[in-house]
Amino acid sequence: MDQRKVQASGSAGGRFWPPADFRFRRRLGKVKPAQLGLGLALAGLVVTGCQGSPPTAPLDPSAESTAEGCAAPFDPAVDYFPDKVELDYATGFTVDYHNHYKVVTITDPWPGASQSFEYLLVQCGAPVPTGYDQAQVVTIPVERVVALSTTHLPHFDQLDRVDALVGVGQFDPISSPRVRAKIDRGELAEFSSGASLDGERLLVAAPDLVMTFSMGNDNDPYLRLIQAGVPVAFVAEYREASPLARAEWLKFTALLVNQEALAEAQFAAIAQEYNALVALAQTAAARPTVFTGSSYEGTWHMAQGESYAAQLLRDAAADYLWADVPGTGSIPLDIEAVYGRAAQADFWVNLSQDWQTQADAIAADPRYGQFQALQQNRAYNNNARVNPSGGNDFWESGPVNPHRVLADLIAIFHSELLPDHELIYYQPLLP
Amino acid sequence: MLHNTPWPKSLTPKRFDQTATVSGRLIHCGGLGLLALLVGVGFVASLALGSVAIPPLEVVTVLLGGQASNPVWGDIIWQFRLPRALTAAAAGAALAISGVQLQALFRNPLAGPSVLGINAGASLGAALVVLTGSAAGYGFSGWWSQLSLAGAASLGAALAMGLVMLVAQRVRSSLALLIFGLMLGYTTTALVTILLHFSTIEQTVAYISWTFGSFAGVTWQQMPVLLPVIGLGLAFSLLFWRSLNLLLLGDEQAQSLGLSMGLVRLYLIFSASLLAGTVTAFCGPIAFLGVAVPHLGRSLFRTLDHRLLLPASALLGALLALVADAVAQLPGSQTILPLNAVTALIGAPILIWLMLKQFRLF
Repeated sequence: MDQRKVQASGSAGGRFWPPADFRFRRRLGKVKPAQLGLGLALAGLVVTGCQGSPPTAPLDPSAESTAEGCAAPFDPAVDYFPDKVELDYATGFTVDYHNHYKVVTITDPWPGASQSFEYLLVQCGAPVPTGYDQAQVVTIPVERVVALSTTHLPHFDQLDRVDALVGVGQFDPISSPRVRAKIDRGELAEFSSGASLDGERLLVAAPDLVMTFSMGNDNDPYLRLIQAGVPVAFVAEYREASPLARAEWLKFTALLVNQEALAEAQFAAIAQEYNALVALAQTAAARPTVFTGSSYEGTWHMAQGESYAAQLLRDAAADYLWADVPGTGSIPLDIEAVYGRAAQADFWVNLSQDWQTQADAIAADPRYGQFQALQQNRAYNNNARVNPSGGNDFWESGPVNPHRVLADLIAIFHSELLPDHELIYYQPLLP
Repeated sequence: MLHNTPWPKSLTPKRFDQTATVSGRLIHCGGLGLLALLVGVGFVASLALGSVAIPPLEVVTVLLGGQASNPVWGDIIWQFRLPRALTAAAAGAALAISGVQLQALFRNPLAGPSVLGINAGASLGAALVVLTGSAAGYGFSGWWSQLSLAGAASLGAALAMGLVMLVAQRVRSSLALLIFGLMLGYTTTALVTILLHFSTIEQTVAYISWTFGSFAGVTWQQMPVLLPVIGLGLAFSLLFWRSLNLLLLGDEQAQSLGLSMGLVRLYLIFSASLLAGTVTAFCGPIAFLGVAVPHLGRSLFRTLDHRLLLPASALLGALLALVADAVAQLPGSQTILPLNAVTALIGAPILIWLMLKQFRLF
């Protein structure tokens, strides 16, 4: 679970791989000619179908940029940010409030990062403060954002600022209805092609901010974008192993769009529900044993004991069989080792995204049929919300809704605790 | 890069007569017997060793048809270890024979299954499946994509083989054929690169882990294809030892001694491609064994006689593959190493040592 499920995975199935935490992020970068054709055809249909409707709002948002709260005329004594965020779980960024600007630091932008990134978020209409030479300057609230990972999109949705998006990585994997509606209206542009970024078009588009993630390579296109004057935020929520910490990155996006109050309220509700569910799960009579993932060519990538997936399983009061393996990523295992430990396990979750039925699994490798969890119909896949292009909402809206993911898991492991819960992201592997 | 490297002086066909003496034959038969024994030991050891510690006595019980005290152990031995060990042995032998055939055909000690573009063809087939297939999660379900990985890789290897054979019929020079095979390899690699460029990170990783090679992905379901093809290929190869010996004298001399060059060449390309292509389709491109094992055979048995070299290489290939696979499993730990890395890490030093010894460099 921690390991991102393969989006549109080919024979890889829903394979996992070691630096798992950011796999899902590339799903914005996926090109499939057939899909592209289909997408274009669909877009064509939509456009044709919408011809009768009135013209949509103009794309240029600068017309409305002087909206709420701009510092004009500027008064240095005014606190332009009366609502402030406080971080309870997330450790990957910090914020320092000043009257008309916020200093936000992303402390852990990528695995093994030796540098942090500082962002000077300056209220529109206010002067840029001096003394922050290393910081990227962003005028807030941002009006024109390019968000290259699907995980960023639910933030804008929840904060009612989908209008601030002008571009994404790729359309296909996106599940959010409001973002999809924007795509259908032709209000969004695509900036990724396969694994590569169309940096030139991004420069021409000159958004207020590009939200992305990075591996920290020296030849990373984002570093060139920064040099060219386009601010780039390395949103590193996937580096947080704790589900609530990951969800709390909603507040990072809130800092950009000045929606602190809303983010605080929403996250407080999420955290409260999550913690209530954890408490509920602890009342379970027994802790069923569980394992995750699937093998590829005999190698089984298993979530490590401190990973996102493992923490969710622990919070759902399950006995994760690889909880003893340190680390927050995944570990390549011999398929035999998995069978040796998990043959009699009670549950199997987060299988290959391609599988809908047990026959699919057994056809991929007949040895899957030997697992008791499969034989007893206790295999649950997190692919209930896969869109027609192969994008899995589990990796899009799941991270900001950890309480829903957890509720699913508790309902699977301890159905007596949540008898009325209807599974959202999960579905049983059909016999 | 491959050059038309001449055979080292010490490997000239003079050595043929070693097998002519009775005592020489006995020694060689003994050597083959010893190797076969070692392969047997390696096979049993790979059944006994693995990530899950199973007491040796239990392994014997299971192999004799008994019930292990832990039923999971029985499954592990029958469903996981036995297919893996069989695959390793068969694949090792197949790659080695393929290497022997191609080195004889091209009279080039650097030739191996990869020079004909067979691996590259298989890789292109695999890349097409891994990098573009099963987009929606629906439509193509698991069995399709799994089967088609081996299927597509076989198809790619077969197409590459067909092309090479077509060219081989028209081009007489082995060197030109070698260059053609190399160029074919570059071309398919270029296509794979383009596919990779347009793929997601997880697809790329899936493809790259395929190129790591693995014997563990083969199940009983695939054995009815894998074993007969390799078995037939090996059996046929042994029948052609005389032609291989004649080839070492040079095309012209071989022809003057009654060898039908065209036929032999086609047969060798077909056989070598079939063996290597099948292995690549099921286990991924395992590059090292095919090139190195023939040299091991020549060094250990001090012979160029293919009547001896073919079985010796098959056994050595099987042994090396079994050992490499066992090491890659890291017995006792639950994690594993990439097979291709282990074959080279184990095989290369042995080969270097043997070569240095042969040339009396130390």
